[in-house]
Formats: sequence, C-alpha cells, structure tokens
Amino acid sequence: MVLVLALGDLHIPHRAADLPPKFKSMLVPGKIQHIICTGNLCIKEVQDYLKTLCPDLHITRGEYDEETRYPETKTLTIGQFKLGLCHGHQVIPWGDLDSLAMLQRQLDVDILVTGHTHQFTAYKHEGGVVINPGSATGAYSSITYDVNPSFVLMDIDGLRVVVYVYELIDGEVKVDKIDFKKTTATTHSAH
Amino acid sequence: MSEEIVQEEAPSLSCVVSAENRGLGSLRSVRWRLNLGILPPSPSVDDLRRVTADSRRRYAGLRRQLLVDPHVAKHGGSNSPDLVMDNPLSQNPDSTWGRFFRNAELEKMVSQDLSRLYPELGSYFQAPGCQGMLRRILLLWCLKHPESGYRQGMHELLAPLLYVLNVDIERLSEVRKIHEDHFIDKFDGLSFEENDVTYSFDFKKVLDSMEDEVGSQGNSKKVRSLDELDPEIQTIILLTDAYGAEGELGIVLSEKFMEHDAYCMFEALMSGAGGSVAMADFFSPIPAGESQSGLPPVIEASVAFYHLLSIVDSSLHSHLVELGVEPQYFALRWLRVLFGREFSLRDLLVVWDEILTADNNPLHKDSGNEESSCFNVLNSHRGALIAAMAVSMILYVRSSLFATENATTCLQRLLNFPENINLKKLVAKAKSLQILALDSKLSSSSSFIFDVAYNRSKSAVSGHNLSPGPVSPTTPLSLVPDSYWEEKWRVLHKAEELRQDSLDKQAPSGKRRWSDKVKLVLSRTESEPSPARAEKYKKGHRSSVRRSLLEDLSRHLGWEEDTETVDCFDTSNLEDRHSIEVQVEGQNETSIDSICTAEERCESGSGTSVSEENSSVFSDPASSGSSTTNDHENDTEKSSVASNLSADEIDDRRLNNPEDSPLPVSSPPEDVLLNYPHENESSGKMVSALKQRRHLSGRFQWLLKLGRNNVSQEASDKGVINETAKSANRDSKSNTADSSTACAPRSSSPTIQRDVVDQNVMGTLKNLGQSMLEHIQVLESVFQQDRVQVGSLDNSAKSNLVGKGQVTAMTALKELRKISNLLSEMLQMAPGLQSMRSWALGPQMAWVDEPVDRVEAGLDSGHPAFSDLKGVGVFAKRLFCLIDLDLVFALHCLSWLFQSTGNENLRWRDIFCFLTGVIHRLFPSQVLSGFEP
Repeated sequence: MVLVLALGDLHIPHRAADLPPKFKSMLVPGKIQHIICTGNLCIKEVQDYLKTLCPDLHITRGEYDEETRYPETKTLTIGQFKLGLCHGHQVIPWGDLDSLAMLQRQLDVDILVTGHTHQFTAYKHEGGVVINPGSATGAYSSITYDVNPSFVLMDIDGLRVVVYVYELIDGEVKVDKIDFKKTTATTHSAH
Repeated sequence: MSEEIVQEEAPSLSCVVSAENRGLGSLRSVRWRLNLGILPPSPSVDDLRRVTADSRRRYAGLRRQLLVDPHVAKHGGSNSPDLVMDNPLSQNPDSTWGRFFRNAELEKMVSQDLSRLYPELGSYFQAPGCQGMLRRILLLWCLKHPESGYRQGMHELLAPLLYVLNVDIERLSEVRKIHEDHFIDKFDGLSFEENDVTYSFDFKKVLDSMEDEVGSQGNSKKVRSLDELDPEIQTIILLTDAYGAEGELGIVLSEKFMEHDAYCMFEALMSGAGGSVAMADFFSPIPAGESQSGLPPVIEASVAFYHLLSIVDSSLHSHLVELGVEPQYFALRWLRVLFGREFSLRDLLVVWDEILTADNNPLHKDSGNEESSCFNVLNSHRGALIAAMAVSMILYVRSSLFATENATTCLQRLLNFPENINLKKLVAKAKSLQILALDSKLSSSSSFIFDVAYNRSKSAVSGHNLSPGPVSPTTPLSLVPDSYWEEKWRVLHKAEELRQDSLDKQAPSGKRRWSDKVKLVLSRTESEPSPARAEKYKKGHRSSVRRSLLEDLSRHLGWEEDTETVDCFDTSNLEDRHSIEVQVEGQNETSIDSICTAEERCESGSGTSVSEENSSVFSDPASSGSSTTNDHENDTEKSSVASNLSADEIDDRRLNNPEDSPLPVSSPPEDVLLNYPHENESSGKMVSALKQRRHLSGRFQWLLKLGRNNVSQEASDKGVINETAKSANRDSKSNTADSSTACAPRSSSPTIQRDVVDQNVMGTLKNLGQSMLEHIQVLESVFQQDRVQVGSLDNSAKSNLVGKGQVTAMTALKELRKISNLLSEMLQMAPGLQSMRSWALGPQMAWVDEPVDRVEAGLDSGHPAFSDLKGVGVFAKRLFCLIDLDLVFALHCLSWLFQSTGNENLRWRDIFCFLTGVIHRLFPSQVLSGFEP
C-alpha cells in the first residue's frame, strides 16, 4: 500500500500566500510515501516544504517556476502502476482530454497527472486515468478566478488505485473517492 | 524450524514432568501453559478442549477486530457517508485510517526489535513466518492493552514462548511421521477404548525412545490414529470421549493454532493471570495501584532484590552501593525480559521452567505486617524466585564485582553476564534464596535487628559450610543451605582454578575440595578466633623462653616471614599442609570431612603427615615450628614495643570468645597459606644454606636480576631477610611483636573492631599491616620459587611446585583482600581513621621514588626479564603513589589487580611490583636497610 500525494499550481507567493491551514494540518509527515507535483510552486521554499512531508518528491516544471531544472515531463513506476507527470501548459487545448490522452500514450503511462487548469478533473480513459489535482492553494488561473483549493491522494495497492480528492469548499474539506482497477477498461468521467 | 533446534531441545523435554498433569507436562509448552493458568489443571478432556478452543477463538476474534485493513473496510461500505472522516489524511484517531497508521507505526517499532531478535538463532526467529507471528501477537497485545503499549523487551518475553510451542509441535509431528507406517498397517485392528492413562504413558515412552520402534509398535499405532483425528478435534468441538485422551496433545498442540496459543501464553505472562507478578507491570512507568513505595513496579522489584542481596551478602551490597550502582541500572534489563538477555535461549528455558513453575498466587497477608507489602514482588513464590534469581546471578559474578572500582566497570560486568555458567547451581542457589526472600520479607520490617544480627548470622553461615550436618537455626539466615556458600566461593575461585594447570588433572571432586579449603581460609578471616585457638594462644603465652631470638632466626630461616603461625596448632599445620599437598597432587582420598572437628583433624593430620612427608627436612621445622613460634610469641609479648597492644588484643579476644563458640573449627585452615612458604623456604634452604649469609644485597636487587633465575639469587633474598632481622634486631623484634598480635584485629568481626578502634586505631592498623606483610612475603617467596624453578633441584616436582606456589599465593592474596575489606570497613566505622589519609600524605613520599626508579631502570636496561614488563613500570609507579596516598585504596587496587588482569604473566608481575611497594610503604626501616647493601 502506497500513498501518493499529487498536487500542483500553488503559485506561492504570487497568487497565494500559503497552503490553506486546513490542508496544512492534514498533510503530516509519515503517511505519504511519494509526492508528485505538477509544477508552478513557484519558489524553492515550497519545494522545501514538500520535502518535509515526504522526501520522495517529483516535480515537473510549470511556466512560473523559478527553478529551471525541473523536467517538462516525468514518469515513475509505483507498484504496478506507471505514472506520468506534466504541468500541462504545453498540452493544448489546456485540459483537453484527447490531447492529454495523446500525452498519456506518448509517455505510456497508466496514470497521467497534469495541472495548469486549476480545476480538479479525473477521467478514466483507455484503461488509464487522467487526473488534474487542481490548485492546492486555490490560486486563480488564466482561465478562471473561481478556484477551490484541491489536491489528490492516490492509494495505490496492487492493481488497484483509490483516488481521494480533497477539496476545500466554503472552508470545509470535502473528500471524494474514486476507485480504479488497472484491468478494467471502462471509461467515464467521475466528476 | 530447523531440525537441529529440535534435536537440541529434545533432551530437555523429558526433564521435568509435573505429576498432576498426566504426562501433558512432559512437553514444556504444555507445562508452561498449565503453570500460566491457561490450561485448566483439571485433567478433564472436555475442559481442556473447551478452554483451548475458547482461548483460540478469543485470539481470532481479537485479530479480526484489531488488525484493521482500510482496503478491506472499503469493500463493505464503499462510498460511505463519512468519507471526510475515513480518509488517509484524516485527523481522527478513531478512523480506520487513523488506526491503521497507528498500527503501522507500532508495527514498525515492533519489527525493528524483532529483526534483531536472537541473531544467533536467526534461522528460526528471523524466518518471515516466525517474524510475522511474533509481530501479530505483539501488535494485538499492545492494541489490546493500550495502557501498556509496546515497550522494548516484550518481544524477548514472547519469543521463548513461541519457540517452546514450536519445538513441541515439531516434536509431535516428528513422532507422527516416524510411526506412520505402523499406523497404516494395523489401523483396523485398533480399538479406541484404550485406557487413557495407559495411552498417555505410552506416548511419553514413544517420545523418549523413538528409535525403539519394535517395543512401542502398538503405541505408535495409537499415536498415529489420534494424530489423524487431531484436525477434527480442533475443529469439531463435540467429539466422543473415547478419542479424548488421544486427542489431548492434539488439542493443546497444533501448528495451526501456534500463534493463538503463543498469544494466550504471552498474555498470561504479561498480566500475571491474577497473580502478583505481572510482567506488564515491569514495563509500566507508573507505580502500581497497591504499591506503597510509590515507585514503578520494576524499580520496586529492583529495590526488593537489592534488599535481598543486602541480607545475603551485605559486603557486596555495600560495595555496590558505594560505587553508586543502583539496582535498576541493570535489574531493569534483567527483570523486564526475565533474564532473557543474560542467558542463552537454551538456558533461559530452564530458568523459565523454574520461574513459571513457582506459584504466582499472592501469599496471604494475614500477618498484618505492613512491611510485608512494601515489596510487592516478594509477595508470591514466583516473584521471590525472580528476585532470588537476580541475587543468585549477582553472586555468581561476585568476585569480579568486588574487583571493580567504579560504577561503569561494575555495570559492564553486570550487563555482560558470563556465558558459560553452571546453570544448575545458579538455579539451585536461586531456589534456596527464594526461601530466604520469602522469609526476609518478614524480617525486613526491622532493619536494625538485621544489623545487629548481621555479624552473628555471618558467622553462623560460615559455620554452616564447616558442618554439613544440621545447624541450630538461631537466625532466619540459617535457611541458607550449605551448598550456597560453597557455591559462592566456588564462583569466586573459578578463575583461579582454571589457571592452575597442575590442578587440571584432578577429578572435579578434588577441585571442589580445594575450593572448600580456600573457602575455609576465607571464612576464617571473617569469623572470630576459635576458643581452641585462643587457648593455644594462652598456652603459648605461659610457656617459657627456651631459645634466644637469634637462635630461632638462624634455625628457621624465613620463618620470620611466617610469624603468623604463632597462632596455630602444629598438628593442624601438618594436617593442612598435608591436605593441600594431597589436593595438589590429585590424591583425593584424604578425609576432607575431618575438617568438621578439630580433634579429628589433629588425628588424621598427624597420622597421615608422616606417611606423606618424604623428606625429613620438611617435617622437622614443621613439627618444631609450633614450639618455636610459641617462643617467638613469648619473646614478643615481652617486648616493650607492642606489649600493650597485644594485651589489648588478647583482652578483646577473650571477651569475644563466648561469641565464637558456634564455630569452633573455622580458624585453623588458615594455616594452609602459612605452610607453603615454609616448605618453599626450607627447600630453598636445602639448596643453598651456606650461601645465605654472604649476600647482603638489597631487597630490591633481586627484582633487578629477575632474569638470572639462579638459586643463589633466591637464597640471597632470604638471607637478606634474615640479615635484616639480625642486624636490626629492634626492628625484627617489633615486627614479630606486631605479628603475634596481628591476627586478632584481622580476625575480629566489625563489632569488635568498633571497640578496638576507639582505643587503638593506629596500633590495629599497624598489626593489620604486619599481617599483610606476612602474606606479601608469602607471595614473594612464591615468586622466587617461580623464578628459580629452572635451577631447582626438585625438577621432578617442578610442575607441582608451581601449582603449589600458585595455590599459596592465591590464598595469601585472598587473605589480603579480606584485610582490605576489613580496612575499608574500619574506615567507615571510625571517622578517626580519616586522619590516616592525611598522615599518609605526609613527608614519607620521598622514599617511594627510589623503588620506582629502580623498576624503571630495570625496564630501561632491556634485560630479558623485563622484556614482557611493558608498562609495568609505569603501572608500579602509579601504584606506589596510591600506596602513599591511601592504603585502603591501594588494597582495593590489589584486589582489582588480582581479579581483572587477564594476562597471567603481566598479572603476576604487577602484583609483585605492587606488593613490593606495599612492603616498603609499611616498613620503611626494612626498605632502608635493603637499599644500603
């Protein structure tokens, strides 16, 4: 059983001061085995903070990241799953499922995690999952100002992955859960 | 589980069979479960089955309830409404995930410890299956008892339980496998209506003699048949009674339920099953509810065990207290894992056998003694045994503990318990101490009574080993059996015994006797002079002077070293020497029993000595020795230097004689150490009687010429002694005067000393010093013997000589140790003695430099004799300084030296250097004469 935290688009300090306190209190070290971050942190302090939660941190580069050494895309294998990571501003149209599916095929991953739209979405697509964890700070995007802070926690266990979605709506943390099995080929939107 | 472990354990299985359990107890795991109260003591099969099944069901239920898996929970209630609460990041500790993470944390902690469990038996304990079982059991127990939680060490309590279960199960299945063939052949002819008792008896036989298949064919058939039924019995609760007996073992032992059973055992052990000793308490940092001391239970138990130690061996106790070694420093580890760290697993099982067999039920408190509850640990047989075991262990390393100078080294010794131990003796001692522990609980109420009774009890106990027969139980301490003190001293001398090459050929009984002997010697110093001896003393007092002092000296060269013999019988002299000789030479037929009474001793001694003595040279001085020494005595009594002193001592002695009566024969064995030098000296005399006078070399000179190894050198040393005595007549007079009285303070008990000290502290000290000198000289002579043995005429008995010399030296050293203990005791008792320190720090310092320089010069010269003396010179210098600073401390150093140094050569030379320093310190006059050739 592996817990993978996926988040991105924090835009600290430009568009948000910090993570919401409720999120911060939930994110404690010791539980999470991996963090994948889609990018736009934007400063190194955020990366340091994430490191405190879990030393195994994977970041791709967003267009506002100060750190230029982050890769554009990254793939990693956790358990039976192959994960792909990309910020998403390179994939146009932004947040388009078909374009993302193309990237998914390109990277040859089971789970593709992208960001940039600041909107949580999760698709089961072609035997894989395409997830956008949204903005963890609720920072505005170039698309919309109405952003709820959200992030995703994936519980990968064997051939199964359970995606927990944490969304802060009106000051309350709302949790949703999506089950996904690798062998099943059903494709439908879950949100 | 590996096969060899099974084989290794096999012999121990049949060791103890509790009679009431109809053969079930023949298997250790079953016996433990009976003792722990998991299995009912009643022999009913139904009960057995019911209880076993219940306990297993309980565990299974617990497992289901407590071992949470968030993924499994998801299946049942997917999309549960309180997803907010039940998610991996939930802050709610009661959520599934919260519990899961807590368990995971606990599991990690447990696994960390488990991975280091018994690395030497890793093939079993490190196997994934075993680790998993241990982990689950620990996890469940900790979850079940959140108030205790997991503490390091719990896994070591559990591991032996699981191991024992596994061993027995393996054994059972092994038996089944072996007898399978027989079963298949004749199963049809088998009747299930066999008598239960017959069956269990037969089965045991099968266990014990598996190879004897022909004889136990019928039995093995039955075994097989029941074994086939085992799974059924496990699962089907209702089974006809006819199979019951055969199923008994199957009921209680099943591989499938090993984990369940191990959990039950562990829980019973931890909770104490209603008894007073609950291991979980030992892990608890808070005081137990009913505790009056307000201490955590384990601390309280440590205190209780220290208390017991103070009763059994107060000198060791005070030594530890002096060093600041708190009991919990080491007892925490000992007690929490029930000595699991101190013994190998194999030995541990035997220890646990005893501990678990002991009744854990609280004793009746109807005595109404509030003190009895001050140590909860001692409230049950089991607790008392645990405390007794700890005391027994600490006594096992007694000697090395005494040798330690600070708390660190002391703890090092305590926490590195020797591996090769005589477990039987240890356990037997613990059992005997257990009685004492239970008893002391009551006597502890009034510690001052204990203090008063201390000296008496001490002597009473020492009297014990002298008379194997029943001793009047005047004190509660008389419960200590004879074997106890013997064991105690045996332990003390174990190291020396090992070193004695010449003694190796002896039968074990011979060794024991030897240790007996030494024990007597040692106990003598603690005990008080016997009436017989005092009588002799007086007799000697009355006898008239026949020879001049000069004559004596010339006749008995080297006897001035042994002036202590003034106190001794000539007959006992012979006896002792005789017996020692016999022991050294491995002839064990002498009557050690004759020690019991002095009369017997005299007879046997005189009877056998003639036959034993080959050379008349030996027997002559020996027989005439007593008269000579009596003369000595008289001379010295009259000498003005010490007459007052000795008179005082005699008074004291007379006063104390009535108290001494319980131990009429404790003192004579001291002669052992006096005879050897005598013999050595006389042999030296044989060799070079003519040369002796010519050499006037300094005492230290021979130290510089150690490498020469020639006889004349040795002779010159004695000559020096002699000449010194002659030329400085006054000196020798005073010396002998001191020596005649020397034994009194040394042998007197602390209570007496209190009186003595008040009057004549310095005189007593001087006497002590004199007796020390004698022992030191004994050692010296042994040294010389060692060195000249190459040139010695007595080549055939060379090895024997060395052995004897060592025996003598050891004895003398032990005497010295006793003196040092006495000195320190005096120091504590008499604050006036503190002035000794300042006195010792006085201007005498200067003379120390020269001997040190000489030693160093010898080192620098590169003489072969000093080649292996690396560092000794520095060491000696240090010691000399110590001597000057504090006599008592220096003596402690001596005992340390004696005990701690592993390298034999180095040790001997260290001791030698040290002793030389002591001599010079105590008798500057001799030193001066020695330095001026």
